[in-house]
Amino acid sequence: MSRSNRKSAPTINEHRIQLFALYEEYYDRIARYVYVHIGDREEAADIAGEVFLKALTSLKSYRERGVPMQGWLFRIAHNLTVDYVRKMNKRRPVPADSVVLLGNDDPAHMAEKNIAFDDVSEAMKQLTTEQRDVISLRFFGGLTSKEVGRTLGKSDGAVREMQRAALERLRRIMGVQT
Amino acid sequence: MAEDFDRILDECIDRINRGDGLADCLSDYPAYSAKLKPLLQSIHDIQKACTFVPSADAKRAARQKLHAAPVKRQPGTPVLSFFRVISTPAAWAMVAVLILAIVGTLMIQTVFNQPRLVPSSDGNFAFLISDDPGDIDDFEYLSVIISGVRMQRVGSNNWLELTPEIETVDLTQVQGEQFQEIWRGHVPAGQYTRVRVNISEVKGQLESTGQIIDIKVPSGTVHMLIPFEITADMVTVYTFDITVVRTANDGTYMLKLQINESGARQDPKLPG
Repeated sequence: MSRSNRKSAPTINEHRIQLFALYEEYYDRIARYVYVHIGDREEAADIAGEVFLKALTSLKSYRERGVPMQGWLFRIAHNLTVDYVRKMNKRRPVPADSVVLLGNDDPAHMAEKNIAFDDVSEAMKQLTTEQRDVISLRFFGGLTSKEVGRTLGKSDGAVREMQRAALERLRRIMGVQT
Repeated sequence: MAEDFDRILDECIDRINRGDGLADCLSDYPAYSAKLKPLLQSIHDIQKACTFVPSADAKRAARQKLHAAPVKRQPGTPVLSFFRVISTPAAWAMVAVLILAIVGTLMIQTVFNQPRLVPSSDGNFAFLISDDPGDIDDFEYLSVIISGVRMQRVGSNNWLELTPEIETVDLTQVQGEQFQEIWRGHVPAGQYTRVRVNISEVKGQLESTGQIIDIKVPSGTVHMLIPFEITADMVTVYTFDITVVRTANDGTYMLKLQINESGARQDPKLPG
C-alpha cells in the first residue's frame, strides 16, 4: 500500500517554533513599524514585544490561508497601534507637532531628527490608507511586495502600482529634486 | 512600460531593504536612472528620518517574556449550548453511556496508567530547567519544547506524569545560575528513582550565520537515574540541567544532560 504524500497542517508547536524564529528577524522591524505610527521609541519597543505575546496566545486562531505569519504579525501590530493611539487620544489630545522623540543623542541632532520625522509623518498622512499601509509594510516592515499583497489581500501588481504612486506623491510633498 | 518601471522600482526597493546603496541600483538601470533617482532618494530620506533600532535590553526582555509565556489552552464548550443539548432524551442516553465510559477509563487508568499531576502554586514540588554553558554561546536562541516530565517511584512500575505549564524554554536565557520553573504542584511524598523528560522539538538560531537548525534528541527523551526524595512538609526543587554541545566529528549539535548540575534540593515551605 502506498502511503499518502499529503502534507498535514502544521501543528501548534510548529507554529510556535516559527513564531520564535520570526521574533529574531522581525522584532526590530515591528518596533520600527509601530514607531513610525506613534513616534515614541520606548512604547514602540514595548508594543513590538506585546505583538509577539499576543500572537503566541492566539496561535490557535492562526491559519495560514495565504497570509504569511509575518504578515499576520504586522496585522496584530497595526491593531495594537490603533488601540494605543485611541487610548492616548482619550487620555489627552496631543497635536502631532508636539510629539517629542526621546534619545541619547545630542539635543541639536535630536531636534533635526524630530523635524525630519515630523515631515515624513505629515507627508504620510496625505496618502490614502492603502498607500500608507503599503509604504509602512514595505519600507519599515521590510516585507516584499508579494508578502504585502498577501497581507493586504492585493495582487503583487496592485501593490507595485500603489507603492509607485505613493512614492511619487511623497516625493512631491517632501520636495525631493529630480 | 509602466509595469516594467513598477517592477524595476520594486526590485530596487528590495535591494535597498537588504542594504544595497542607491548608486548600485541606479547603475544597473541606466535607462530608468532619471526617473528612479528621485523616488529612491525619497525612500532613503524616509527611512533615514524614521531610523529606529530598539535596544538590545528591550529585545532581550521581550524575548524572555515570550519564551516564558504559557500557551492558552483550548477554550471549553459554551455552557449554554450544553444545557440546550442535554434537554433531549437521546442526549440523556448518550450521557449515561459517556459516564460509564469515563468511569471505566478512570478505573483502567488507576490500575494500569500513571496518574497525571495537577499544578498548584503552593505545591511541594517544583521542576526547573537550567543550562550549563557548553556551546550555548554559538546560539542567538535555542528553544526546547518539553512535552512532558515523568517520574518513577521506588518499587513501582507506574510513572507519575506532569504536563509542563511552560512548555518552551530558551536555553540561552537560563544559563549558569538562571533557570526556568516549568511546573509546580503537589506530588505524593516518597522515594523516586528516575526522571524522564520528553522533548518534542529543539530549534535554535546560530549566531554566526543566522541559520536556524534543528537539534535531534535521540528517542525524544532525556533521563536521569539518581534517586531523590519528595516530602510533604518541604518543597522539593528538582533542577534538570541540560546543555548543548557541538560534536567533534561533523560540527552538528546535540543536547546533553549535565548530571553534576542536575538533581533535587529541599527548601522549607513558605507560610501561606
